[in-house]
Amino acid sequence: MPTPSPVVLELDNVSVAYESRAGAVNAVRDVSLKVEKDSIVGLVGESGCGKSTLAYAIMRLLKANAHVTQGSIRVNNQDVYALSAKELRKFRWNEMSMVFQSAMSALNPVMMVEDQIFDVFRSHRPNMSRSDVLKRAKELLSLVRIDHKHLKSYPHELSGGMKQRIVIAIAIALEPSLVIMDEPTTALDVVVQRSILDQIKEIQREKHFAILFISHDFSLVAELASRVAVMYAGRLVENSPAYGLRNSEGHHPYTQGLMRAIPKLTADEVTIDGIPGNPPDLITLPNGCAYHPRCPFVFELCETTKPERYRTGESELECHLFASERRGSHV
Amino acid sequence: MSEFVEKSLGVSDSSSVGKNNTNDGDIYKATFISTLVNVSDLAVHFPVKTREGRQFVRPVDEVSFTIGKGEVLALVGESGSGKTTIGRALVRILEPVSGCIEVVGRDVAHIRGSELKGYRNIAQMIFQDPFGSLNPVKTVERHLQFPLHKHTGTQGVALSERMNQLLDQVGLTPVAEMRQKYPHELSGGQRQRLAIARALAVQPKLIVADEPISMLDVSIRAGILKLMNQLRTEMGLSYLYITHDLASARYFGDRIMVLYGGRMMETARSDELIRHPMHPYTRLLLAATPGSPVTGPLPETSNQPPNLLEGRQGCPFAPRCPLVTQECHTAQPELRELDARHQVACHHA
Repeated sequence: MPTPSPVVLELDNVSVAYESRAGAVNAVRDVSLKVEKDSIVGLVGESGCGKSTLAYAIMRLLKANAHVTQGSIRVNNQDVYALSAKELRKFRWNEMSMVFQSAMSALNPVMMVEDQIFDVFRSHRPNMSRSDVLKRAKELLSLVRIDHKHLKSYPHELSGGMKQRIVIAIAIALEPSLVIMDEPTTALDVVVQRSILDQIKEIQREKHFAILFISHDFSLVAELASRVAVMYAGRLVENSPAYGLRNSEGHHPYTQGLMRAIPKLTADEVTIDGIPGNPPDLITLPNGCAYHPRCPFVFELCETTKPERYRTGESELECHLFASERRGSHV
Repeated sequence: MSEFVEKSLGVSDSSSVGKNNTNDGDIYKATFISTLVNVSDLAVHFPVKTREGRQFVRPVDEVSFTIGKGEVLALVGESGSGKTTIGRALVRILEPVSGCIEVVGRDVAHIRGSELKGYRNIAQMIFQDPFGSLNPVKTVERHLQFPLHKHTGTQGVALSERMNQLLDQVGLTPVAEMRQKYPHELSGGQRQRLAIARALAVQPKLIVADEPISMLDVSIRAGILKLMNQLRTEMGLSYLYITHDLASARYFGDRIMVLYGGRMMETARSDELIRHPMHPYTRLLLAATPGSPVTGPLPETSNQPPNLLEGRQGCPFAPRCPLVTQECHTAQPELRELDARHQVACHHA
């Protein structure tokens, strides 16, 4: 039996709340998740489900009005919130880095690409010589397949795909063990998207870092990731291996709903069904399971009691249908 | 009724051959006997400043297509391919530099003033961003009142009833409550429904829907597509459905037209195009779409963007095409008919 890969990111019952005039907004509730070395875990959910908040919590980049209220976040076995400000500064980018949502605005428009890459080395490797830094910057650009001449380009001279590649190059500059990618390809065309994803996989094969890949595009994540975590209203409702997502059986009703909502490119049937209702307001969450007002399998228990986390096979699900005494009877 | 509508309806009544015989639910077998839109050799240009001085880009060049009554034509392409520009030219937010846009039998490419106002009763647009296309300081009611009053002259009780009917039609209920809400009180899906109601207010025949679902959450996209489909059956609407997503184009479109670098690459019935793509660019798009069975490297040779400058030569896809030959760089491929409903513009397909 092969030895399990070391766990790079470990979230244990993490909750994050925003303070607001209307009361605390529990954007992330009780999320537990592991990301192993060399793997890609996809985090899927609709806007406002807390997926970006979770990413910012891991990077300890939450805004002043947001707090981790519960749980621990460990990267390489180091509690991120136990670090002092100075240690954190070193820890970020060395151990974990992030590719932000819009590449278009993540780069400084008045700095050349080379200076933005050099910045990383200037602050984290102050003893590196200038020629070594330049050599490393060229290596990074080769890795994301961008011509070295673009070191002297400004962001506006590059296409969206090239900017995104440069942001990825900067994120992996110090060879961190965890890279969080927050919707890295959302604003890009499908062809560019696909080529960037292929490249990410290729670089990962070489550098063996772990990726937490955040996206709203279910079919994309199912293809790219080895495990898929589905969030709804701040909770992780399902965590399953990606290969299990080819058929809709044995999944959380919300996951099933998402699967039915996407038009298939090649399947014979061309019907799609939306999920009735709207995503919930995080301030006035429904009692019990947050999904129950939209769920086709709803029964009394769902309206009153929060479901626990149940394991079936390789999946973890938060749904009463998967409680051991009911398992298999509904789904 | 405006001068334009009377004139053009007169023409269309005599020219329409028969009723379009769409069977409910069997949209792929539908035949579209009468044509609503006939666009030929459409070209749009914009001035740009370059180092060589003022030049023109042509984001749309020699594009021709037709849309039948009650038909949905899906326009697919990447950003910068000219799909939004075609949509905007079709509803005449833009004026084309050349070519002809025939709608209900009349060329509307260069109409102005009251004629253009009349044309708004026939063609309407739904925009991509429902957060930007609604006025944040106006209630739902006011969004509908304005087009109803301006274009149909409805007033008083009739106006109020018509608004209720429209909101009901797009599923914004309870109507009385909805009428008083402001856009910020609506969800993305509800906003897009309001945008659809506003477009329907003038009882148009053609709706240009510019990526109407791309900014919405996945779980509510299907609802909007279904609504548009239902309106098509109920009201016999025709759509130009602009999207970058082949899967939704296949779901909603009767035919798909693939655009690249401002030129038409391929057009066919939706199923035919997905199952038997002929053009190398269509194949590339299909291979790159999530959920495609194609794995392995993408069938392209570079990722160079197409040249859009006026006076460009050859096929715009040539720099990326795996089938490229010398001919492709110099001669623009003609649109060839493979069969009556499948056309492709490629020297080698």
